[in-house]
Amino acid sequence: MHRLSSSGGLWLGVLAVIALVLPVAVPNAFAIDVCIRVLLFAFIGVAWNLMGGYAKQLSLGHAAYFGLGAYTSTILLIRFGVSPWIGILAGGVVAMLASLPIGALCFRLRGPYFAIATIATAQVLMLLFLKFRDFAWGAEGTTLPNLGDAPLMMQFESKAAYYYIALAMLAVGLAVTYRIERSWMGYYLVAVGEDEDAAEAIGVDTLRIKRHIYLISAFLTALAGTFYIQYIYFIDPNTAFSFNVSVEAALVSIVGGIGTLWGPVVGTVLLEATSALLQSWLGSGHGGVQLTVYSLILIAVILWRPTGLIGVITDVYRRLVHPGPARAQEAPLDG
Amino acid sequence: MLATVAQAVVNGLLIGGIYALVSIGVTLIFGVVKIVNFAQGEFVMIGMYISFFLASRFGIDPLLSLVVSMPVLFVIGVLLQQFLIRRVLALGDMPQIFLTFALSLLLVNVALLLFTANYRTVETPYTETTIRLGVLYIAVAKLSAFIVAMLLSGLLWIFLHATDLGKAMRAAAQNRDVAMLMGINPDRVFCVAVGVALALAGAAGSLLMPFYPAYPMVGQVFVLMAFVAVVLGTLGNVTGALIASLMMGVAESLGVQFVGADSGLIVVFLMLLLTLALRPSGLFGGWTR
Repeated sequence: MHRLSSSGGLWLGVLAVIALVLPVAVPNAFAIDVCIRVLLFAFIGVAWNLMGGYAKQLSLGHAAYFGLGAYTSTILLIRFGVSPWIGILAGGVVAMLASLPIGALCFRLRGPYFAIATIATAQVLMLLFLKFRDFAWGAEGTTLPNLGDAPLMMQFESKAAYYYIALAMLAVGLAVTYRIERSWMGYYLVAVGEDEDAAEAIGVDTLRIKRHIYLISAFLTALAGTFYIQYIYFIDPNTAFSFNVSVEAALVSIVGGIGTLWGPVVGTVLLEATSALLQSWLGSGHGGVQLTVYSLILIAVILWRPTGLIGVITDVYRRLVHPGPARAQEAPLDG
Repeated sequence: MLATVAQAVVNGLLIGGIYALVSIGVTLIFGVVKIVNFAQGEFVMIGMYISFFLASRFGIDPLLSLVVSMPVLFVIGVLLQQFLIRRVLALGDMPQIFLTFALSLLLVNVALLLFTANYRTVETPYTETTIRLGVLYIAVAKLSAFIVAMLLSGLLWIFLHATDLGKAMRAAAQNRDVAMLMGINPDRVFCVAVGVALALAGAAGSLLMPFYPAYPMVGQVFVLMAFVAVVLGTLGNVTGALIASLMMGVAESLGVQFVGADSGLIVVFLMLLLTLALRPSGLFGGWTR
């Protein structure tokens, strides 16, 4: 599986064309908004999946990096007039720097206690930003200056522009995952995820591998943070460090298929589509419905399909394309 | 100054008793079943709503409603173990973590749908009563909650050390395989462990009700506290969890008193991160994993 098979390439092409013409074909603002959310959360899921999926370091604190990215670019923008295009990269670097001490603390722990420690780090950051009144607007937060159509300041009149940025970010995230999956690092990551002690015993420097993938994952997550704040024009600690971001990052990956290239995308499309349908059936103002449904889906997936729904899709596809009693080789690469 | 410190310490100890009930439950499940229950706080929330409805519909005192909330939560615990947790025991970390995590999300959001996000409080004759001890003022509601919490912890200790079932649970916690070889039925032991842990969470909810509002997200504060206490007190160690909970209550209370009203949680999280950095095995011994 070192190259995309020709049919795989064809499908990817079709998918890319659909993704590119979608905002032109669907001029409905609500639909575009849903699509932007899908792309954004798929991207965050892809970033989470690099560490949570391949190396099985189940972080529930990725909001830390989302928030750091968001605050870095916003502070640079409002305090120093720096364009968010530079701020987004600066945010990524800040997130990478932050991931070093956070990783040093949390990587001492395994499994559930790693997850708890990451929750604590994200919460500490949120509580700290609530205290930074003069420097970062404290609990009230701030709105971003509306400059109208200012592409150089990452502000656009049309939603389609945001759509294409989110699409580009997702494409980058998928490309990074694709490259890592097929490099020595990918194999080391899977080894760490399968059995950390065994990986260590055969000479994998597990701490170094985890640190490296955490750097990449944090950087990508921070990009999403800047983008989101630029999109909604508002920042406060509860938005930037929202526990929901940490949860959704993990959720979409698990529902789609943990440790697979397309898992987070499949998971996000499914969950966001469900959520959009629920919203149009019930209208807004039913707090709790969306997450109730999400958690039921998650429980169902864990109990009946712990490798994620992407396996169901490939099974159906294989049965449609290659019907017949003899099933060819089972794909063992489900992480 | 000294009086302020003493007052903060006393307040911290009293709320620490409640944290202890939640932490003991988490550490009991972890010790016996080897699962971290992310939904433990939501069972505190259920206990609170049970007491709230018994108080508002039938005028039953929250402290008395323990006799309802504890058995109800015990049964929920047995069902939880039997129908959900048992199915992921043989699987890896991911299903184990995210099953109880999903359950926590589910319970919070169902509560949000059923009861809305409004704060519910119960007024008891003793809600506003305080007793004066020298320079200290002690709220009767908190004091009685603390006393009952300590009584329940003591009863649990006796159960674990003096009954066959309790000894079987400790045996299963120490070494599951050997315990099974000795003829201990793990299914039964696991069900009782989860049941008892949830009953303690339900008790914590009922005890909180006279002085703490019930709302769907209320469990999150308590479960975070419990996780910190359980790490501090060494995973799987019931006495450790009890002592650590009391310490955390005091630390939180001192943080609120001297750093600022919204700083209690920062102090607690920093304690967790410091513990992880300096002594990841907890204060009371080595890893039990």
